[in-house]
Amino acid sequence: MTSIDLALAGVSLGAITALSGIGLLVTYRTNGVLNLAQGGIATLVAYVFREMVVEWNLPIWLAAVISLAVVSPGIGLLLERLVFRPLARRRASAAESLVASLGVLVLSLGITAGIWGLGSRSDAPSIFPNSSVQLFGDTRIGADALAELVMVIVFAGVIGVIAARTAFGRQIRAVVDARQLAELSGVPADKVAAAGWAAGTTMAGLTGILLAPRFQLTPYGLTLLVLETFAVVVAARLSSMTVAVLTALGIAILQSELKQFTLHGDAGQILTVLQSNLFIVALLVLLLAVPKLRELGSGDSGATTSFSSRDAPPSGRVSGVRLRRDYLGKLGGGALLLAPLTFAPSDLRSAFMVPALALIFLSMVIVTGYSGQLSLGAAGFAGLGALLSLKLANGDLFGLPAMPGIASMFVGALLVAPIGLITGYPAIRRRGLTLALTTFAVGAVVSRFVFEQPTFATGLYLDPLTLFGWELSEKAFYVFELICLGIGLLVVRNLHQGRLGRALLALRDHSEGAAAVGVDVRNLKLLAFTVSSVIAGLGGTLLVHSSYSFSADDFAPLQSLLWFTAVVVFGADSAAGAIVAAAFMVTIDVLAPAGSSTLAIGILALALGWMPGGLASAVRGMLRLLAQYLADSFVDPNQRAPRPVPVRISAVGHLPATTGITGITGLPGIGSTLRAARAGHYARWPLSGNQDGLPAGAPRLTPFGAGLVGMVQQYAATQTAGARRRQATDPAGAPRPTLPRPAGPTPTGAGAEAHPAEGGRA
Amino acid sequence: MSRHVLQVVGLVRRYGGLTAVDHVDLVAPPGMITGLIGPNGAGKSTLFSLLTGVEQPDEGKVVLGSTDITRMRPDIRSRRGLVQTFQVPSLFPTLTVADNLLVGAENRRRDYAGGLLGLSAQGQGRISHSAERVLERLGLAPKGPVTQIVEEVLDSLGLSDVRDTIAGTLPTGALRLVEFARALCARPDILLLDEPASGLDSEETAKLSQLLRRTAAGGVGIVIVDHDVDLVFSVVDQVYAMVGGRVVASGDPETVRNDPTVRSVYLAQAPLAAAGHSREAH
Repeated sequence: MTSIDLALAGVSLGAITALSGIGLLVTYRTNGVLNLAQGGIATLVAYVFREMVVEWNLPIWLAAVISLAVVSPGIGLLLERLVFRPLARRRASAAESLVASLGVLVLSLGITAGIWGLGSRSDAPSIFPNSSVQLFGDTRIGADALAELVMVIVFAGVIGVIAARTAFGRQIRAVVDARQLAELSGVPADKVAAAGWAAGTTMAGLTGILLAPRFQLTPYGLTLLVLETFAVVVAARLSSMTVAVLTALGIAILQSELKQFTLHGDAGQILTVLQSNLFIVALLVLLLAVPKLRELGSGDSGATTSFSSRDAPPSGRVSGVRLRRDYLGKLGGGALLLAPLTFAPSDLRSAFMVPALALIFLSMVIVTGYSGQLSLGAAGFAGLGALLSLKLANGDLFGLPAMPGIASMFVGALLVAPIGLITGYPAIRRRGLTLALTTFAVGAVVSRFVFEQPTFATGLYLDPLTLFGWELSEKAFYVFELICLGIGLLVVRNLHQGRLGRALLALRDHSEGAAAVGVDVRNLKLLAFTVSSVIAGLGGTLLVHSSYSFSADDFAPLQSLLWFTAVVVFGADSAAGAIVAAAFMVTIDVLAPAGSSTLAIGILALALGWMPGGLASAVRGMLRLLAQYLADSFVDPNQRAPRPVPVRISAVGHLPATTGITGITGLPGIGSTLRAARAGHYARWPLSGNQDGLPAGAPRLTPFGAGLVGMVQQYAATQTAGARRRQATDPAGAPRPTLPRPAGPTPTGAGAEAHPAEGGRA
Repeated sequence: MSRHVLQVVGLVRRYGGLTAVDHVDLVAPPGMITGLIGPNGAGKSTLFSLLTGVEQPDEGKVVLGSTDITRMRPDIRSRRGLVQTFQVPSLFPTLTVADNLLVGAENRRRDYAGGLLGLSAQGQGRISHSAERVLERLGLAPKGPVTQIVEEVLDSLGLSDVRDTIAGTLPTGALRLVEFARALCARPDILLLDEPASGLDSEETAKLSQLLRRTAAGGVGIVIVDHDVDLVFSVVDQVYAMVGGRVVASGDPETVRNDPTVRSVYLAQAPLAAAGHSREAH
């Protein structure tokens, strides 16, 4: 084939990529959301289209009309209404929108995999006839390529005219600049946003339908293909449609041209990979080369404080109670982690995945939750750790002698550190969206150029692990995994406290502010990335050992996205959340058909719109409510004297203003405690004179409360010497109606979760 | 410890065709308060970012003591003694007030890796966190110089009462004060304050100027960039007035106040004698 033929062969892919890019830009420019779910939606629509044509035998044109005029825009409208409008309403940060779109991606993947399975299909119908048009001489171009090119020109032209020349275009810019201001000036912001979403998802659907017949149709494969087209929007710096279209055609044609070369040896191998992966390489190179994307708004997507599951700061003073309150949870968690040791062997083998996955999740907690960087490359690090340790164990790495299994695991994980360090460098100057895409691209490139290459990832043997000559039994392996998890937790704990922890939190809270007082922002970010990559590497090694094989699919770039979403859903700054997330995913995958965990994580991710801070935060909130409810069972809420509520609007801070005044929650028995707690909160600044003094009227215990306190007292009296002495002075041991602090030693342990103001309230 | 002087020599910053800062020379000695005034667009903010290291100049030098810091990152400048506060108070909202200050106080050391292994850089000895916590319980925790500085600053600014309050829950006036305290904990030679009075009521502003005087008396050099002419003229020892990227007048407040260019351009028609009481100059 000549160069011209090859170029023309690339046009079709270029045009489809351009369509995808146009869709991404439309959504971004109208909503400020970079729709990471584009690939998932494209795949879903492609499957629906195939279902209608192949299974229901509808005519292709009808199926196309239904898919593109009903299903695709419908998805967009639904997403806008249910997911992104609530986020825009509460002015969620760009980072939250990014996570929401990840949630949509994961959900659409889950739906596709749930309905049609993970297997590949090669019978995706094409909407264009398989014919070609003669251009000149012998040179022909496919009818499909021609049609796609026409579509690109028409769509880009129409959208360009709308944006530049019409009132609607002005409205779009107004809504994106300042949604509330635009609404105040009479712009129907919701309609503008909805139109943007509908247009974007329609383009996504079109991309999916056009791409599917060119490749095997698999949920993950097609999604990843569409994600690779992000290269063109990065080249366009998220703004210029013309640049996006030209880049798309350029990369596709270049990739096609590469086919006329053949090289031998290692270079040849790299060339072969490049011939089908130029887009992902271009994504990485462009991200490293383009210094700054033209992000909309304040470009605040670097601020990941919003992922904090502790978003509602404990009001007032922080006391030692906070340190102790998690002990019960830790004990319970530890017991749960040990429980699989009693399982039957097959179930134990399933449980192997939990500590491994938990370690990988912990690595993300370090980067995202503690230091506030968005990282979507965890699977890359995990896979590298696994691969390096396997190679070490096989004596296959740089001519090093074969190492015993366990040593190779740790050394392999440590060898990931330099790669983590290198990945950390882009993070110094990049943040938010750019950093997320960069880390994703790193993971994808590693996956394509290393994990999927037979030279690297085949012929590896997984020997049973031995320790001092003893072969580890399955139970022993699980214990070993728990020890590794313990090491990870220890590192995480050290990262979270002392001077280092303060510096990291400062970096996450306000990186400029941290730099202003001398926190070494650069080295801290590098440290976080390096430590995180090592922990991910260790987790990856354990994952391979627990599934007895190395599979490139386990560490595919999409896994990173799924894992990241899971971590955020369960509380990005919660180590316990990471473990729970791992247990949750493994449990669901064992009990339900494969892919169900993806679906579940996707649903939970979408709920983030209503549940900021993730599940961990919701659970904490529930415990707090429960504690308050229990406290109210002790003390009769109606008998408590109302406390004056100093109304200082400037002090409201993070609390919702509406409840700040009335304190009525609608739940019986809770309102009064909440109100008292809030009163305590407000009273703290400026410090009112009488903080610890009791309110005017002492509270009266409920009969239940009095009984319970009596029981606790009696128990304490028989147990401790101190209590015995107290009993001597108060021989009756009867419940006194006005104990100073009845809610103190709550027997449930949930009371320890209670509001710090609780003590002062009683 | 002798404190360093901040010197700016021939600083130029251009944005395309616009020269935002045009050959500015400035000296901010320790123990003195230097004011930087000018109408909107005069180049004050650009000059400020050149001083803090957020932006790099096209020409000229920024020198602290005898060190050329023109190309240094903000955090390195801060460790060398050039510490800034922000127009919008930039506390770490999830940390307590004391921890906010500690972050500032701990800035001189960079060995974060020790923390990873459970070693503590706090206190004099290097002991593990658990050991430290046990000692704390027993009331035997060694008070390192770092903790001492924090306690002293908390005391002297009257912030001891909010020591353990989460910073994100404080009102604006308190935020400013805590940010100032955090900057003090970083042991600055020169403090750069970007509109420290914005968002403060008149009472709080008065307190702030007292505080600034006290701080300067302690030997710290202060540079204030502010629209609030009242505040600037009431506390500064010397003033630089900028117009169109250039310094048009400098010297003690009286001289600058009576400078004809300053009168015509910046203070407009406001009678200068009353400038200290007028807010029209905004």
